[in-house]
Amino acid sequence: MTDLLQHVANGVVQGLFIGMAALAITLVFGIARFPNAATGDMMTFGAYAGLVAQQAANSLVLAGAVAILAGAVVALASHWLVFRRLAGRSVVSLLVASIGVAFMIRAVLGVVFGQAQAVFQVPLTRAQLYWGVRVTPLNLQISQVVVAALLVVFAVLYFTPIGRQMRAVADDRDLARVSGIRPERVMVALWLMAGAVAGLAGMMLGIKTVVAPEVGWEMLLPAFTAAILGGIGSAPGAVLAGLLLGVAQEVSTPFVGFSYKIAIAFLVMLGVLLVRPSGLFGRSESVR
Amino acid sequence: MSAYFVAIGIVSLIYMLLALGLTLQFGLTGLINFGHVGFFAIGAYTSALLSLQGVPLPLSFLAAAIVPGLMALPIGLISLRLRDDYFAIVTLGFSEVVRAVITNARELTGGTQGIPGIPRMYPGLTGLPAQLAVLATVGLVTLAAVWMIVRIARSPFGRMIQAIRDNEVAVKALGKDPARFKVQVLAVGAALAGIASAFYAHYITYIVPDQFIPLVTFYVWMAIIMGGASRISGAVLGTAILMAFLEGSRFVHDFLPGVSEVHMASVRIGIVGLLLIVFVIKRPQGLMGDTTQR
Amino acid sequence: MTLEVRDIVMNFGGFRALDGVSLTVPAGGLVGLIGPNGAGKSTLFAIMSGFQTQDAGAVLLDGRPLDALAAPARARAGLVRTFQVPREFRNLTVRQNLLAAAPGQTGENLLGLFFQPGRVAREEAVIARRAEETLRLLKLAPVADQPARQLSGGQKKLLELGRALMLDPRFVLLDEPFAGVNPVLIGEIVARIRELNAAGIGFLIIEHDLEALTRLVPYLAVLDRGRIIAQGGPDAVLTDAAVREAYLGGVA
Ligand SMILES: Nc1ncnc2c1ncn2[C@@H]1O[C@H](COP(=O)(O)OP(=O)(O)OP(=O)(O)O)[C@@H](O)[C@H]1O
Ligand SMILES: [Mg+2]
Repeated sequence: MTDLLQHVANGVVQGLFIGMAALAITLVFGIARFPNAATGDMMTFGAYAGLVAQQAANSLVLAGAVAILAGAVVALASHWLVFRRLAGRSVVSLLVASIGVAFMIRAVLGVVFGQAQAVFQVPLTRAQLYWGVRVTPLNLQISQVVVAALLVVFAVLYFTPIGRQMRAVADDRDLARVSGIRPERVMVALWLMAGAVAGLAGMMLGIKTVVAPEVGWEMLLPAFTAAILGGIGSAPGAVLAGLLLGVAQEVSTPFVGFSYKIAIAFLVMLGVLLVRPSGLFGRSESVR
Repeated sequence: MSAYFVAIGIVSLIYMLLALGLTLQFGLTGLINFGHVGFFAIGAYTSALLSLQGVPLPLSFLAAAIVPGLMALPIGLISLRLRDDYFAIVTLGFSEVVRAVITNARELTGGTQGIPGIPRMYPGLTGLPAQLAVLATVGLVTLAAVWMIVRIARSPFGRMIQAIRDNEVAVKALGKDPARFKVQVLAVGAALAGIASAFYAHYITYIVPDQFIPLVTFYVWMAIIMGGASRISGAVLGTAILMAFLEGSRFVHDFLPGVSEVHMASVRIGIVGLLLIVFVIKRPQGLMGDTTQR
Repeated sequence: MTLEVRDIVMNFGGFRALDGVSLTVPAGGLVGLIGPNGAGKSTLFAIMSGFQTQDAGAVLLDGRPLDALAAPARARAGLVRTFQVPREFRNLTVRQNLLAAAPGQTGENLLGLFFQPGRVAREEAVIARRAEETLRLLKLAPVADQPARQLSGGQKKLLELGRALMLDPRFVLLDEPFAGVNPVLIGEIVARIRELNAAGIGFLIIEHDLEALTRLVPYLAVLDRGRIIAQGGPDAVLTDAAVREAYLGGVA
């Protein structure tokens, strides 16, 4: 029983990462209307940026700020240099271009940092027992940071004018346009927010595990799964689905082994798409 | 020196077979297959394992075509009703799951150590004659594949898959089920990838999971996008450029000793990314002028 | 041998687009469906052809409900539709568009293609002749070998109609077939639809061009805000007070 609880607890932490990555994906998917395959590498970018800052200034708080900033900058740059130029083109153009962006980010990181793994220097702490479940203070702190970040994102989305505009565009782009929303402003806000979320998620993942060139890419499939499961464009859905998926992956590890986590995510994705080919809560395109 | 060019010719034709599969799947049908390398991997392991069990190579090659082709059926049946973008994600996920399986099913696949000592083709020959025999064989198979795809493209079947690419809803309104066509296309492309992979496995003679990363899929995407996605001449030209690029980047390494292999790998990925972006933005019709509007 | 919809209800979110629509097209019938913009006409077609699923009610062909049939199966059963916004295969030539519509082609199967080449060639010859006829009828012969994306709006509507005719349908649902088509050609298409109708094909036609429509159909149904508000002979229907109210709004 405590074993199960332990897996659930681990799954929640893992799920928070998936949820954040899924949030970055679902925002872009809902508003810019394509699955951004560069999300994972934007996370990696944030992780390395945070690593550099922490080594330079020996401050995790500062590192977090740098990771957020780096993610936002690289996302906005890819919008300006690449995605904006493909507005109105078929989804395959945007998809292929996002793969291109992913590769370029990874190449820059590879040239600068090499292929070796790096770790964040964090104080080693002893795990505490809560109801028989071992939780390290580090995991607790990571979770608190992620939850706080999510609260900030939701506050922006639900209580600021630009957030309301973003949600309006996600709901119905044409309607949003005729009601006078300026699309480019929304796009800039979108990429800043998605990039910031990805950057922070990457750094938190890096603290929990390691920083390596492919850490972000490996999150991509679970994150897409969570975005689809939660309903494309739905920010709360993405986070909840991420948590669910994280727990499902952890709870199933005793049965299928650690290395098949990715297969679990894949099966969940297939399952969801089998039931609803347009995704849960997905828009059904009208045919006239 | 001539052995070097023969070797390049063999690898080029292997990529060419992969590119032809994608020309059929994406160029003609509009299927965004981001998991090509998954079928390539399945074919390679199938043929390698069978031949090591003593199965004659012609049969193991056949199996390398059939097994990925059959794997395409369940993937197709589940995912062909999906939107284009979901299909891309699902196929990408599929190829990553394949990689996870071949990495972890150690008893069967040797895990990260892979499978060494895969039998060569034409064991009776050695040196250049052996190489030339392989080149001739893969050349003939590639010609056959080109003939088949041209034949398909100009047939009623080819008409219908291009109709599906252009407007799937209208195809349904005409009483035809797009999924039936797409699943066949997916299977044929997967079988082509499988045959290509058998040549690869028995030419290189060892396989490891790291040879089957998504980058390989996007090498092929880069080739057909640069050439022109719905034209066979595009696949030919694109593959030639891809090969020149892959080999050229090895020479850079030889000429600039300061650049480490690790750096070169990153630079190579970066150039692939850059080319994908530049072509999608500036020249979506590719070099051969694919006039298809998407 | 009839096409019938019974008590169809369709909601989009909180909006009720169809509110209990019932309508019958007898075998070989010729019925016009009119109504203001947004009345729900195209939605009714989408439901009848299997592209959308109604919230309640049934579509029946020869008294059998079609619920279990997906869109392609309905077309194969003889119920074929066209689209209000043309959905041409833009990279295929006009001729190929028509050829693609022909049913039951052996060459559309990879096995048939490679193992029965003779049969494929014979079938191609037959459908090529039919396509040729259709091209002539619709005055599309001069552009037959151009990519369909280069057609004008009106020509695309003609191509929609031509593709539907290639299927040998029993019932055809035409969504605004005359929109953007020049009056002379409308006259010819009207004549052709009459011929096909005389040969036993039933038509249900949405059209805003009432003048052309009333020349063609002996029976009209009027849809307004998701309800059939009148049906019968054109003269009676068009003088009906409720219909005038629906069309002219509060003015009358
Ligand atoms: N997929 C959809 N989602 C939401 N609303 C829809 C959808 N399809 C149609 N509607 C709404 O249903 C109503 C009926 O639309 P429909 O296209 O059937 O009208 P119509 O009678 O064909 O009009 P027109 O003569 O202008 O073509 C309209 O108010 C339309 O906005
Ligand atoms: Mg309409």
